[in-house]
Amino acid sequence: MALYAVDDYGRDPHLIAALSPLARLRWNVHVAGAENIPAGAALLVCNSRRFSLSAVYAGLALTDATGRPVRFVGRPDTAPVGALMRRVGALLAHPADVLGALRGGELVLISAAGTSHPRQAGAVPHELVGQAVVAQVPALPVTTISNRFGRTAYVEVGAPVNLRRERNGPLAHVELAEQVQHHLQRMLDVSREV
Amino acid sequence: MTGQGAGQRVLVAGMGSELGSLVAVKLEAESWVGALVGIDADPPRRRLRKAEFHLLAPSQRERIVDVVTAFNPHVLINLSVWEPDARASLRDARAFTADATVAIIGAAAECPALEAVVIRSGIEVYGRGRGTRTRPDESAPIQPTSEFGKMLANVEQQSAVLAGRTGLAIGTLRLAPVLGKHVPSPLGRLLRQPIVPYSALADSPFAVVEDGDAANAFVTAAARRLNEPVNVVAHGAITTLQAALRGRRIPLPLLGPGWGLAGRLSQILGAPIPDHVVEVMHRGRLADGSRAIEVLGSAPASSTSEVIDHLYAWESVVRIGNIREAVA
Repeated sequence: MALYAVDDYGRDPHLIAALSPLARLRWNVHVAGAENIPAGAALLVCNSRRFSLSAVYAGLALTDATGRPVRFVGRPDTAPVGALMRRVGALLAHPADVLGALRGGELVLISAAGTSHPRQAGAVPHELVGQAVVAQVPALPVTTISNRFGRTAYVEVGAPVNLRRERNGPLAHVELAEQVQHHLQRMLDVSREV
Repeated sequence: MTGQGAGQRVLVAGMGSELGSLVAVKLEAESWVGALVGIDADPPRRRLRKAEFHLLAPSQRERIVDVVTAFNPHVLINLSVWEPDARASLRDARAFTADATVAIIGAAAECPALEAVVIRSGIEVYGRGRGTRTRPDESAPIQPTSEFGKMLANVEQQSAVLAGRTGLAIGTLRLAPVLGKHVPSPLGRLLRQPIVPYSALADSPFAVVEDGDAANAFVTAAARRLNEPVNVVAHGAITTLQAALRGRRIPLPLLGPGWGLAGRLSQILGAPIPDHVVEVMHRGRLADGSRAIEVLGSAPASSTSEVIDHLYAWESVVRIGNIREAVA
């Protein structure tokens, strides 16, 4: 009977288990740095090349690597696409949704703005990243590199990003977003070719 | 559990309902409760040993005020909320709830001994408009999008006015849809039909809470003088299709116009589908119940899946003989 249930956020682990073989047909993902992910809540921020679905394969690969559901952000709030994405673990790109999940001890994956170059980190949305400051959880950069026409993809989790200086107000959100983008870019600069 | 002295006077408005009489039974077992009075338009559904009950319609405002002020309770629990198409039609439910809220909250303001009020609300108050949070916590804005949600929001608003004027502790329990044996719930009734309609495009997840867990939350909130809103939600979630499959019902996928037809047919068959239940099917209804664990000290014992399993385990026909044996 456990087959017919979803978790507190509407994620359906059985549907994901059924879809995983399809995802593995499309992507062969190598994961590094998963040990950087803490046992509690964390905000993961990945770079994103346009149309690469990097958040999807990174989320699935990190779920496999950690054994914990990784909830990626960005589902639309309309059926049927939004409803289906909710079943595979997606949240709304809404700061309150991200904050709620982080406070609930979850791993949340958000994407930087999509770019056309695979080794360029786009702008990181500070409204969403700032929720890590509010929830007092670490933010970790996650690089994703894939070949548009091949199966091989790499996902690397970096060390938690710390703010250079203490901030009391919303500057902390903006500066954290900038630092995460900076870390992502540095990791992409030294990452391997696919 | 309480820290409150013994001999407290507790008044339960809505004691005749399934949830109200369950709360009353549990209060009777509490050592801190000295006297218990209940009012409702229907008689209690359980045998109560200590409670004094007054059969009063919501429109009898003066009589309600007399009973409440004469009793002068320390704690008032307001369960006088009629869910549309549960015990009354939408029109009656709206009128009964509005009348009862004015009478009960108004009377509470006249009670000098009153220290705390616990009110029944629901997670319907958060609404399910586009862009609303997947799992709203208590800080989420009140933006009801269903008739029931608006009724509950009105109860909360009037209680907030009372708190502002008197400084009373107002604890608001925002319950997920309450299911339980004999609970008149339009959602429960619909899920128990042989054919269960669900949204083919969305089939959104929802959470529920069992009546016993909801009653425990009211008793604890009263004992602890809760002074904030709290979501009371069983953990886990389920979709309508999943619930139908668990109950071995025939799931019927529906698209837009099909809902109108299904709604009318279901009403004829005795299970009307009010707008807040349609909203559950299309948009889901989840809420973050972690605050309840912090302030009430425990989470609901039954998960959403277990509550749904219990729903399908109820007898369709209850033999009177069995009840007599159980009572004896």
